[in-house]
Amino acid sequence: MLNNEREVICSLRNVEISFPKGRDKFVAVDHVSFDIYKGETFSLVGESGSGKTTIGRAIIRINNVSDGEIIFKGKKISGKLDPETDRWVVKNIQMIFQDPAASLNERANIDYIVTEGLHNFHLYKDDADRRAKAEKALKDVGLLPEHLSRYPHEFSGGQRQRIGIARAMIMEPDFIIADEPISALDVSIRAQVLNLMKKFQKERGLTYLFIAHDLSVVRFISDRIAVIHLGKIVELAETEELFRNCLHPYTKSLLSAIPMPDPEIEKNKQLITYDPSVHDYSVDKPEFVEIIPGHWVLANKAEQEKYLAQIH
Amino acid sequence: MEDNKFEFVTIDAEASEHISAPVYSYWKSVLRTFLKSKFAVFMLIVAIFITVFSLIQPMFSGYSAADAPYINDFSRRFIAPCAEHPFGTDHIGNSLFDAVWAACGTSLKLSTVVTAINMVIGIAVGAIWGYSKKVDIVMMEVYNIFANIPYTLFLIIMMYVLGQGTKQMIFAMTCTGWLGIAYFIRVQVMIIRDREYNLASKCLGTPTSRMVTKNILPYMVSVIMTLVSREIPAVIGNEITLSYLSIGLPATVASIGKMVYTYTPYMNGYPYLFWIPVTVLGLVSVSLYVVGQTLADASDPRTHR
Repeated sequence: MLNNEREVICSLRNVEISFPKGRDKFVAVDHVSFDIYKGETFSLVGESGSGKTTIGRAIIRINNVSDGEIIFKGKKISGKLDPETDRWVVKNIQMIFQDPAASLNERANIDYIVTEGLHNFHLYKDDADRRAKAEKALKDVGLLPEHLSRYPHEFSGGQRQRIGIARAMIMEPDFIIADEPISALDVSIRAQVLNLMKKFQKERGLTYLFIAHDLSVVRFISDRIAVIHLGKIVELAETEELFRNCLHPYTKSLLSAIPMPDPEIEKNKQLITYDPSVHDYSVDKPEFVEIIPGHWVLANKAEQEKYLAQIH
Repeated sequence: MEDNKFEFVTIDAEASEHISAPVYSYWKSVLRTFLKSKFAVFMLIVAIFITVFSLIQPMFSGYSAADAPYINDFSRRFIAPCAEHPFGTDHIGNSLFDAVWAACGTSLKLSTVVTAINMVIGIAVGAIWGYSKKVDIVMMEVYNIFANIPYTLFLIIMMYVLGQGTKQMIFAMTCTGWLGIAYFIRVQVMIIRDREYNLASKCLGTPTSRMVTKNILPYMVSVIMTLVSREIPAVIGNEITLSYLSIGLPATVASIGKMVYTYTPYMNGYPYLFWIPVTVLGLVSVSLYVVGQTLADASDPRTHR
């Protein structure tokens, strides 16, 4: 499918996110631009501190954008918003958090946690309606209505994460930011949560921004992948294209680190270490260019030619 | 091995989600944990007994600190504790039993009012203080100035300026008394403020007022209990200090501080005049402190098993 035919749901234009650091500022995300299409799963991968979580949090407006803009469904959602747009954004964009132990209010019961968003916007007719919605939300994530009177500490990690998903889903959003939703979970229940997310996507046509560092999981769930390194996106392509034709040295090093389930292969695996000095950006500055349709890479003129020759 | 001896078992997904533990209730668990401590329960009984007695007994005894009806009856002076006068009588013939309970009632009422005012202002200001970075800059300066003035000295100056009286004393004690509480609450709020579940609430559009009542304050029940259990004895102590210095409560109000001051000269000749009020006072302070601390521990859900 050609990308220009698809509807863009969320778009980042030259976004910079910085934090004050003494008199200086620390630039966590350095002028990043990309589009997320409706109905897809867009993954952001990168090492710790690369700014992937910061981007997710900027879209949901926990972090402020210091330059550029974020556009959601044609409306600018970065910077100060009027209350009506604010409500609209909260209803349409929701987030699934990384740590299910920390992201649920331990002193509130599941009934309150799941219906918190409904309370805030009074999205129910009466108490019975709210209760019915809460029960349905729990059922959708495979939990029981009797859990409504329970407290978070009584649940396992996987159950808690599903409560977190139910809390986001009850708002009926179009766009969900999943910030490493499975990295804090036991390996045995990761697939359960991923499948649940896929089920919701199929049923409701959701769009995901999936933030992760585990590439095998990312390959399983995403349609397109953006690789981010030190606040800059270095490569962006459709999943299989990226795994077949990775161009940027950082992407190559990242892909070479994926663990193989075969001990023989794993033993003889060649790890590639990324060395930023391979780039000579002293004269020729790098740009984020679409090298072949749908495949973007950060490179200067000389590298672009080199990369183009590599594609098969 | 025959295949027909085996059969397929299906997993009941719902059954695996079931929680068999009884329904958890926060306040019931608090009560259960509190009742586990026998010493605290005993102290609670002591505290309740003293409180009820010091509120009811003065109604029947007709004791008033303002007059001395037996001052001319020499036979009523300095009677040692006996059946008729359980705590004995003093140098003007008043029953110490009546005087102690009236004074105890005064101390309890005063400390309740002062603690309530200080806690309400302290929690409200502390919550805003911890939440807003702009308020923090201003309040930190205010705190630095007032926290450096010794509290007792401040009370003494205030009482000299305002003059003796119950209302004056309440005002003096609540003037800056909430500041320390607010600072303590500020620190706690700052610890909790940026936790991930608060970010989650923010993403759901929860207004700040509900963030405070639903996300922040429930986490501080045990902190607040600790503060209350420290504040009540502290107020009683301050009242005694001021009354002992004769700048606290007026002469018409019964007060343990004034009793201690009045009876100190008789410490050698009639020690019960000094020791009985002090003991009752100690019992009040210690029992309230122990009950408060145990309740604070019990209200921390990590102690709930």
